[in-house]
Amino acid sequence: MKMKLRNFIILIIAVTFVSGGLFAQKKLTGLEIMKKVYNRPSPKEMEAKLTMTLISSSGSKRVRTIKQFIKDFGKVEKKIMFFLAPADVRNTSFMNWSYDDPNKDDDQWIYLPALKKVKRISSDSKGDYFMGSDFTYDDLGDRNPEEDNHKILRMEKVNGLDCYVIESTPKDEDYMYSKTITWVVKDRWYGVKKDFYDEDGEYLKTLTLKKAENIKGYWIIVTVEMFNKQKNHKTIMHLSDIKIDTGIPSRMFTERMMKRGL
Amino acid sequence: MEKFVKKSLKFSILIIVVILAITVFFAKIAKDNSRLETNLDKYMPQDHPAFKYSNMAEEWFNIKDAVVIAIYNKNGIFNYTTLKKIKSITKELGKMKEIRKEDITSLYTADNIVGTEDGLDVRSFYKRVPKSKEKLEKIKNMVVTNDMVYGKIVSKNLKVAIVIARIDDDVFSQDFYHRILKLAKKYEGPEKIYVAGRPIVEGTLAYLMPKDMKKMVPIVIIFILGVLWFLLKSFKNTITTLIVVLISTVWTFGLMAAFHIPIYAVSTMIPVMLIAIGVAYGVHLYSHLELHMKENPDISKTDAIANMVKEMWKPVMMAAVTTMVGFISLLTSQVYPVKYFGLFSAFGVFSAFILSMLFIPAVLYVFKLPKFKSKKEKEEHTKIYFTATEKIIKNKKLVIIITFIVLLLSIYGITKVWISSSFLAKFEKDSEIRKTDKFVNENFGGTTTLNVILEGKKKDTFKTPEVLSLMLKMQDKVTKSLPVVGDSFSLADFIKRMNKVMHADKEEFNNIPNNKDLIAQYLLLYEMSGDPENLWRVVDDKYQKANLTFQLKSDDSVQLKKAIKVIETFRDKFEKLGIKINYAGSGYKALVFTDLLLEGQISSLLVSLLIVIVLLTLMFKNFYIGLIGSVPIILTAVINFGVMGWANIPLSSTTALISSIAIGIGIDYAIHFIDRYRIYAKEFKDKDLASKHTMYHSGRAILFNAMVVIAGFMVLVFSVFPPNRNLGELVSLNMFTSFLGTLTIMFIILYIKNIYFKKEVKNENEA
Repeated sequence: MKMKLRNFIILIIAVTFVSGGLFAQKKLTGLEIMKKVYNRPSPKEMEAKLTMTLISSSGSKRVRTIKQFIKDFGKVEKKIMFFLAPADVRNTSFMNWSYDDPNKDDDQWIYLPALKKVKRISSDSKGDYFMGSDFTYDDLGDRNPEEDNHKILRMEKVNGLDCYVIESTPKDEDYMYSKTITWVVKDRWYGVKKDFYDEDGEYLKTLTLKKAENIKGYWIIVTVEMFNKQKNHKTIMHLSDIKIDTGIPSRMFTERMMKRGL
Repeated sequence: MEKFVKKSLKFSILIIVVILAITVFFAKIAKDNSRLETNLDKYMPQDHPAFKYSNMAEEWFNIKDAVVIAIYNKNGIFNYTTLKKIKSITKELGKMKEIRKEDITSLYTADNIVGTEDGLDVRSFYKRVPKSKEKLEKIKNMVVTNDMVYGKIVSKNLKVAIVIARIDDDVFSQDFYHRILKLAKKYEGPEKIYVAGRPIVEGTLAYLMPKDMKKMVPIVIIFILGVLWFLLKSFKNTITTLIVVLISTVWTFGLMAAFHIPIYAVSTMIPVMLIAIGVAYGVHLYSHLELHMKENPDISKTDAIANMVKEMWKPVMMAAVTTMVGFISLLTSQVYPVKYFGLFSAFGVFSAFILSMLFIPAVLYVFKLPKFKSKKEKEEHTKIYFTATEKIIKNKKLVIIITFIVLLLSIYGITKVWISSSFLAKFEKDSEIRKTDKFVNENFGGTTTLNVILEGKKKDTFKTPEVLSLMLKMQDKVTKSLPVVGDSFSLADFIKRMNKVMHADKEEFNNIPNNKDLIAQYLLLYEMSGDPENLWRVVDDKYQKANLTFQLKSDDSVQLKKAIKVIETFRDKFEKLGIKINYAGSGYKALVFTDLLLEGQISSLLVSLLIVIVLLTLMFKNFYIGLIGSVPIILTAVINFGVMGWANIPLSSTTALISSIAIGIGIDYAIHFIDRYRIYAKEFKDKDLASKHTMYHSGRAILFNAMVVIAGFMVLVFSVFPPNRNLGELVSLNMFTSFLGTLTIMFIILYIKNIYFKKEVKNENEA
C-alpha cells in the first residue's frame, strides 16, 4: 500500500534544462549520474488523469482511470487518488502522506464507497505490485542511489539521445532485484529504459519511456510501459490533462475529501 | 518344404551371422536413441477434449502440482528453530531453478491481513525469526485467527507447518527429486521433515519401479533358465530359446528407438510379453524334435531338423499371426503409449517367430544335436500323459462343472473389480511415502486436488453475490458430505475474508456481502494491497472464469468420482446463472486417463477375440474350431479379472495390459493343441488315441512352457514393489489358466464335439 509522492515521481520525472552543460563537464561516476537523476527538482503540485492499462499474457486488456492530486508540503508530501473507471469501483479513493523523515512510515487511507468507511492501511511489504500492475511500489519510488553500487557500462544512443548505460547492484543482498541497468539521457538526467533482474540474477522486466513532454520547463514523462518477461504481462501508464502548480488547496488531502469524491 | 529347409540349413552359419549383425545394429540404435519417458502427462492423449480443456484451464489459473514439505515438531512450531527452518526451506526452494519464487507458499511468504476498528493491516507473519517468547506468542495468535493460514499451511494442532512449492509439469526430473529429498533431510531433527505431493509420488514411482525391475529381471531370467534346462534337458537349447527371446526384445526396442519413440512405462511390459510368448515357440520346436527323435532314433541331423520345421512352422506361424493380431487390436486405444505397446509387441512376436524358425534350426545344425534318453523312459513318460488324458476324458462332466463354477465365481469377482488411478496405491501400505501422505492428510486438507472450473457468459460474473454464495454453498456441501474432502478454496473465500477484515474482523461479517460494487471494491483493494497472483489462481482478470479447488485426502479415482457426483448436483443451479462447470487438474486427468485406458483395453480385448475367432475359423476351415479355440482366451481373461476382483487387485494401467497376455498365450496353446489333434486324428482315426498323442505331443510342450514362465514370474511375487508383485501373480495365473483351460475344458469340448471324427463317430455309434 505504498504510494509516496516521491515514490511516484519517476513517472513524472521533471527535469530542468540547466542542470547540465553550464560548466565544462568532468568525467562523471555512475553514482554521480544516478544522484543527478535523483536530485532533480520536481513540481510542487500536480494534478493529472492516470490511465493504467494492464495487458495479460493472453492479450486481454483491462483499463483503469484515476484522477490524482499531488502536493509537496515540505516535510510531508500528500497524494490523493480517485478511481473514475471501471464503474463498479468509481469513487474508490486512496490517500497517502509520505514524510521526509526516513524513520517515519507513510500514512495511508482507503475509502470504499460501497462500505462508506475510510480505513487506515498499514503495510510492511515494499516488493508488492502497485495496483496489480507490473510496477512495484519500489519501481515507482526514486530509490536513493546510495543504496546501490553503480558502474557505467558504456554510452549508447537511444532514440537519437546520448545515454549513459549504468548498472546498479544493491548493497543489501536481500533486495528484490539482483541488479538493474538504466539508460540515463545525458544532460537531461532522466531514464529512458531500465532492465530489472530478479533475485536469482535472471532477466525479469523492462521499463520503457514511451513519451515525455515539456510542461512549464519540467520534463514530464507522460507514457511509460513495463513489460514483465517472466509473467509475459504488460502495464502501460499514461498521464493526461496534466496541470502543474495550479494551487491545489490543502483541504484536498483529507478524509472528508476521500468520502466526498470528485 | 523339407527340401527347401534342408537346402537352407547349409547356410546356417550365414543365417546366424546375419541375425547377430542385425541384433548388433538394433542394439546400437537402441543404445544411442532410446529415451525413457517419465513425464506422465506425455501418456495422456493431449487432443482428447477433457485434456485439452484441463490444459487450457491449467494455463488460465496457473494450476500446478505441488511438492509439499511438512515440518513437524511435537512441541509445536512456534519456536525459534522451527520458524527458522520454515524460512530456510522456503528460501532454498526458491533458489532451485525448477521453482518460481511466486509459486512457493509458507508461513514465511504468507501475508496476514488483519482488520481493526479503524483500519486494515497487511503484514507478513515474520521476516526476521523472533527469539522472544512474547513475539513468538504473537505470531501464534496471528496464525490461529487467520483462516487463510490456520489449517491450511499450519496444522490445527500447531505442530506441523507446510511449505508448498508448485512446479511445472515438465521440470520434474530424477535429479530434482533427489535434490528435494536431500534438502528435506538436511533439516531433519529434532523436527521431522516429510516430503509429499503428487510430483513426489510420481517421482518415487518412476525411481523405484525400474530400480526394482533391474533387480528382479536377472533373477527371473535365472529361474527361467533353470526350469527350461530341467525340462529341455539341454543347456544349448535352453540358451538358444532364451537368446531368441532376448534378440527379439533387442530388435523391438531397436526399432522403437529407430522411430524415435520413447520408452513408456507400459513398454517395460514388452519383454515380459516376449518372454511369456517367445519361450513357447522354442519349447514347442524342441519338444517336437525330441519326440520325433525318440521315435526315430537313427534319423540324420538334417532330416530331424527339417522334420521339425516342416511339422511345426504352420502352428507356430498361426500362433504368431493370431497373437500379433491380438496386439495390433490395441491400436484402437486412444492412449498412445498403449498403441505403441501393441504395435511393438506385435513386432516382437513377429521377430520371435522369425528367429524361432531361422535361428533355432541354424544353431541346431551348426552344433551337435542333443542326445535324448532311451525308449524305455519314453514309454514311462508317455504313460503319464496317456493316463492323464484318460482321466480327463473320464471326468469330463466334472471338468465342465468345475469350469462353470469357476466361471461363475470369476464373473462375480469381476463385479468387484475396481478401477484405480491412484499412484499411492502402488506403494506398500507401510511404505515411507504412504505414511508421509497419511500424515500430511491427517493434518491438512488433503494432498490431492480437484479443480472445478466455472465459466460465466459475461465478464464480472464472479463479482455477483449470488454466484459467490452458490460457490460457497457447493464448497460446504462437498466438504461436509464427504469426509475424504478435507478443504476447498475459491474466490468466495477471499471475499468472505475481505468482508470480515473490513468489518474489524467481526465474525458476523465472515460471509459474502450482498452488494456487487462492494465486492468489486474489495477485489480492487486486494489487487492493490495483497498479492494479485493469489487472486489469479482462483479467478481470471475479467472475472468471467473461476477456479474452485477441492482438496482430497486420497488420490483414488473412486473418491474423485464421489466428489464429482456431489458437484454435479449443482450443475443446474449454476446453469441458471449462466455458468458452465468443467473439471481440470492432474487428479482429474488421471481419472479420465484411467477410464480411457480401460475402455480401450476392454474394447480391444473384445475386438481381438472376434478377430481371433475369424482367423481360427479360416485357418482350420471350421467355424466350430474358431469358437473352441477361443475358449482358453475367454477363460483366461475372465478368470484374470475375476481373481483381480477377489484378490482386491485394482484395475490400473499395468494390470489392464496383463489381460493382453491372455490373448497372446491362450491362443498359442489352443492352436498348437488343435493342430496336433487334427494331424493325429487323421493319422490314428481314433479319438482316444489321437487325444492321448496330442496330449503327449502338444500338451507336454504347453505344460513345459507354462512351467517355465510361471517359475520365472513367480519370482516377482517377492518384489518389494506392489505393481511388480501383481504383475508376477497375474502373469503366472494367466499362464496357468491358459494351460489348464486348453488341456481340460477346450480339449473336452473338442472331444465331445467330435470334430475331425464326424464320419468315424457315426460309424462307431451305428456299430
